Amino acid sequence: MFTQLVHAHPSAKLPLPSPLYTVRPSTPPIFKHQFTPNSRTQFFFLQHHHQKLRPFIRCAANSEGVGGNKLNWEKWVPRNFLAADKVFRWISEATSSPIGQYISSPTTFLHSVDSRIKLAWLLVLVVLPARSHISVRFGLVIFLALLSMWMQPKQVWVDQLGRVTLLSGILFIMLGLGTDSAPSLVFSRTPPPSILGLPNLPTSLEGYSYVIMKFGPLQLTRKGLSTASTSACLTFTIFQSASLCLTSTTPEQLAFALQWFIHPLKHLGLPVAEIILTLLLSLRFITLVFDEVRNVALGIVSRRINWQLLTTMETVDVFFTYIRRIFRNIFSHSEQISQAMIARGFRGDCNSHKLFLSAGTSSAMANILSLLCLVGLIGAATWSKYLLS
Amino acid sequence: MNQSSLAAVSTFKLPVLPIPHSHPSRNCGNIDNLAIECHNMCYSITTKQGRLKPILKDCSLSIPSGQLWMLLGPNGSGKSTLLKIFAGLLNPNEGFLRVKKPRSFVFQNPDHQVVMPTVKDDVAFGLSKFNLTYDEIRSRVARALDAVGMYDYLQRPVQTLSGGQKQRVAIAGALAEACKVLLLDELTTFLDEADQVGVIKAVKNTLASSEEITALWVTHRLEELEYADGAVYMEEGKVIMHGDASSIMDFIEARQAAYIKQIYS
Repeated sequence: MFTQLVHAHPSAKLPLPSPLYTVRPSTPPIFKHQFTPNSRTQFFFLQHHHQKLRPFIRCAANSEGVGGNKLNWEKWVPRNFLAADKVFRWISEATSSPIGQYISSPTTFLHSVDSRIKLAWLLVLVVLPARSHISVRFGLVIFLALLSMWMQPKQVWVDQLGRVTLLSGILFIMLGLGTDSAPSLVFSRTPPPSILGLPNLPTSLEGYSYVIMKFGPLQLTRKGLSTASTSACLTFTIFQSASLCLTSTTPEQLAFALQWFIHPLKHLGLPVAEIILTLLLSLRFITLVFDEVRNVALGIVSRRINWQLLTTMETVDVFFTYIRRIFRNIFSHSEQISQAMIARGFRGDCNSHKLFLSAGTSSAMANILSLLCLVGLIGAATWSKYLLS
Repeated sequence: MNQSSLAAVSTFKLPVLPIPHSHPSRNCGNIDNLAIECHNMCYSITTKQGRLKPILKDCSLSIPSGQLWMLLGPNGSGKSTLLKIFAGLLNPNEGFLRVKKPRSFVFQNPDHQVVMPTVKDDVAFGLSKFNLTYDEIRSRVARALDAVGMYDYLQRPVQTLSGGQKQRVAIAGALAEACKVLLLDELTTFLDEADQVGVIKAVKNTLASSEEITALWVTHRLEELEYADGAVYMEEGKVIMHGDASSIMDFIEARQAAYIKQIYS
């Protein structure tokens, strides 16, 4: 690495604007940091005059020269990764559709399965990864990934699987390497066997080893692998099975299935009607919240705030204003919706205002097949604990 | 706007228009022929400072059954408040009011009106208060969606619809309740021209299918007046005039012309 001192005039790099170019801004800015069309040019001239005699110190990563742009490692370092303008732009450009919304066409095998069976599948997929052998866990992940590819449109599963796999992968690595790598701060009060005069535990004749792999100070142990596989597989199955269920079932069918399952609890005083109406309103409200988050961010982006002139506290203040505005708008929406519900005859009593939910049309063949698969999966997971361990 | 032009607008002399021949007050004998009727109605709110602020002042109007009427006026003139009083969402402080029942209200923003996640279940939401069988509900939902040209969207999630389609679903929800009075609050504000015409035609078709349904439509768009049978013009909480649509159109255009003339003089 070398350092080269270059007494360079900035005008050697930056072309001077045409003398015909008008520098004076046409209108004064309304806000303190608002973008004005000519302010950038004005700023350039300011810099141009102030930096006239300042020397440039140019650094290069290796000996291939000052102009070796290809080897300049600096460009690979992410800059302004969490810059405020990028965050708002990213939010404003995000889709307004919530993740995992119902896709009415093309109609797939999952569309023709009864919503109650799908809900039972969801429950089983939440319980199984924690209670089964590691091979069953990974088998479930592969099964769900293949099912998603088969059932969902390509743009949906690519997006969904990518995100869930990334999340599960991060979880797997962090938990796998982190479970036994960090030294325990709590020491055992039992003295080691050598002090007690006992022989050390014999090494396994079958090649058993608690530590599976070592990566410098980090190590992957059997306990780490178990914890990591359970957490990562559980995360994957929860997200992916929920996505599969939501894309192939209407909210009303889901509400019907839930109502069918929790209806017996009505006798124990569970407010079933309230829970179902709340679920349906929440499913409707999610889209409004997404829209509001996006629209308010779009409003901020369209103001063209010059973020570089803001202090950290001022940027934080803008974020708080953003959050405050979202909440205010959401509460306003809630008020309007409640007024609309009153206008449509809802008087606050869920029992008298009956919602007519239906299971929708389902195929008997698809129902039987999915039930058999479910029973088979539970049986396989149960036996795997005894046969494979 | 400068002070002189403001004064010119406020002192502009209102023409006294004749009551149209179709207007029921000409043959006032049959009261059942009126879907909405109010006399000397006032509505005021109490401000945070405890002062009484009048919103509607001495409003009187009557709208015959089976017609589409428009309610026009500048922002803050009390149109939406008047509509909410007709819907029973607000109570007037004074005056006489009679509105045929059942009545339905369709809000300006369809996102507020459509409360269920899919189209068919939203249309069925308002029917829950009636004691109907499941088949009856299904047939009513189908008929209402067919009337607004949305039958093919029966299973669609609401968030996948355009603004105009949502607005038509909201109207279908009101129609499914077999209402006699449809109160429509600025339905076309967020819509483009194609959706605007689609929604107006949906309402007109509904009215054509039954002589009993009456619609009162709040709007700012003058071009919508050509679809109306009659109109009401409001300003500063008062009903300035009501009558047939062409007279109201002439009146508003005359005001606009006078205002423009005042600006350029």
